[in-house]
Amino acid sequence: MSSTRKLIRQTLTIARRDFIATVMTPMFLLFLLAPLLFAGFGAMGSLGAMTVGQGTEGKEKLYAIVSVEDAARLRAADTLIRPAISRERGLPPLVTIAPAGDPAAQARALLSDPDIDVPAVLYGPLDRPQLIHANPVSTTARYMAALAEQAVRDRRAGLGAAPLSQPTFTRVERDSTSLGGKSAAATFAVVSLFVVTLMLAGQAVGTMAEERSNKVIEVLAAAVPLESVFLGKLIGMFGVAVLFLAFWVAVGINITALLPPDFATAMSGIAPALGFPAFALLYILYFTLAYMLLGSVFLTVGAQATTPREIQMLSLPITIFQMAMFGFALAAVGRPGSWVATAAELFPFSSPFAMAGHAATSADIWPHIAALAWQLLWVAITISVGARLFRRGVLQSAGPKWRWFKRG
Amino acid sequence: MRVQDDHLALRATGLVKRFGDRRVVDGIDLAVPTGAVYGVLGPNGAGKTTTLRMLLGIIEPDEGTRTLLGHALPRDASDRVGYLPEERGLYPGMKAREAIAFMGALRGLDWSTGRKRAATMLEQAGLGHAVDSKIRKLSKGMAQFVQLLGSVVHQPDFLVLDEPFSGLDPVNQERLEALIRGERDRGATILFSTHVMAHAERLCDRLCVIAHGKRRFEGTVDDARALLPMKAHYVPHHPAPGIAGLLPAGAQEDRGGWRFTLPPEGIEGILVRLIDAGYGISGLSIERPGLHDAFVRIVGEAAREQAA
Repeated sequence: MSSTRKLIRQTLTIARRDFIATVMTPMFLLFLLAPLLFAGFGAMGSLGAMTVGQGTEGKEKLYAIVSVEDAARLRAADTLIRPAISRERGLPPLVTIAPAGDPAAQARALLSDPDIDVPAVLYGPLDRPQLIHANPVSTTARYMAALAEQAVRDRRAGLGAAPLSQPTFTRVERDSTSLGGKSAAATFAVVSLFVVTLMLAGQAVGTMAEERSNKVIEVLAAAVPLESVFLGKLIGMFGVAVLFLAFWVAVGINITALLPPDFATAMSGIAPALGFPAFALLYILYFTLAYMLLGSVFLTVGAQATTPREIQMLSLPITIFQMAMFGFALAAVGRPGSWVATAAELFPFSSPFAMAGHAATSADIWPHIAALAWQLLWVAITISVGARLFRRGVLQSAGPKWRWFKRG
Repeated sequence: MRVQDDHLALRATGLVKRFGDRRVVDGIDLAVPTGAVYGVLGPNGAGKTTTLRMLLGIIEPDEGTRTLLGHALPRDASDRVGYLPEERGLYPGMKAREAIAFMGALRGLDWSTGRKRAATMLEQAGLGHAVDSKIRKLSKGMAQFVQLLGSVVHQPDFLVLDEPFSGLDPVNQERLEALIRGERDRGATILFSTHVMAHAERLCDRLCVIAHGKRRFEGTVDDARALLPMKAHYVPHHPAPGIAGLLPAGAQEDRGGWRFTLPPEGIEGILVRLIDAGYGISGLSIERPGLHDAFVRIVGEAAREQAA
């Protein structure tokens, strides 16, 4: 048997053991269903926010203290302009009331009323409207000013409430991917890749601890090169990650069918430059390499730890490292073609994230072939360095001088 | 790289290992003949385990070379080698059968053959009831035996056992001795370390003694015994004063008689003198020194040398 085949066989033996040992435990079920906890907390948060929203709903109003005639013009202007204003929660309804006594005092009283939420009040003649508002910068006050302006223009032009034009709206599919669609796809790629890597690659940090605490490492080290042990462990944990993702992707596909049509419309805006099939393939490859790269770093660092406490303490710097790579890649996506983007694409540990974003914004294939080869090289380097550090630090041996590579 | 040295399963020359400033192994040479049971003896901390780990390629020597089963890199022969480390280690969540098959798989044995052999071996070792028991449910001795079976499941040509008898009760020690003899009869070369002389005396074809990182002796058990002269215990028929003058210098009274070291020319001359002087012979026994005595002497000399 050739040494390469032997290495592959040994690596897969380690991977198989780790995969089965991880999957065939009750704890794996907890790990698999962990996103439900996220979803549960998310749902609870949304429910709370909705309850708070519903509590104030209907209590927020815009007031205009104006004459009956001005009130009619303001409402007509409101009917015309309101649909063009895009706001997530919508503008509060406009309420017009007749002046009674001092309109300024009346307006201040409305603004201070504890039973209703009034962001702005308009009073006075429409050509010199007075607007009072509570917030330092009030878009609602500016909206009411625009209403007054429109009402005055309509009055001076002698126009009534009926619209003068009848627009026709037609949606047309673009022939090319929009810049916004590419950018959305790039952001989606980086963020989703980061989230799955954050959840899954961190698992690698404690995998060598089992062998060290059970003293199995001596048996492994005698039979198998440490590089194979490290790579086997990574592949085993990657198998666990793939199983996890396959499960949730299957769940996700079924849930998508239940989502409202608006969601599909929103998703249709996401359009990678390479097209979906090539983008999906590259996404899978970059996920694999992101996992292998970060996982090998975590495995190397974790293998040096001697106690569970040390491993626990490592989780903070590891999370910070991942966040840094995420931030770097996200900055690259925001400035395609800039030096930040080039640096993020070249730096091995941010490269998979940045290149996944690159796949969304550029249709060139060759940078991906180069990037995949570059990242693969760094996986090998990281594993080799990790094995050497382990050999030197834990087994107390200088180790063979790069013979593994030479013989491979 | 393959090196031709057919009659030797292992050759090591000038092995040196330093931990910091300390030379834990200091220029050890070893030559283990193919098919032999070879003992590496030495007191605690002598450097036995470090030597074995270097021979197997777990750690690299700072100086020296070794050739294992014709390979300059021990790793190249790993599929033909079995190893029981001093610090036993198994995955507690694995079943006994799986643990043995896993160790075989690491050495190139396919899983299904490994599982079948594991079940048979466990039956033969009287552990048939534990085939599907998890390691964490087994006693320490049973788990140790499972690991031992794991080290031979792939039928290695070269078996390395580091302190294999420690932690085993006498019944399991007997089983282990039988297993070692069985492996030798199968044709395997066996190298084991111990500081219990009785096992080495019964099992070893050749042995070496390591102390303070250096090889102090290499040869057969008989060669080791021959390092010490034989002793005689003589009981006169007619005890009387003046008998000590006829015995070799250093003779001491012991159990109603005298104990003395036999001179190189033998005991005949002494006996003739004693009979002529009328003391007679009521009892006489010639005592051959054991491996234990030889070991104590070798290690003692090493300690004195080290102190000097």
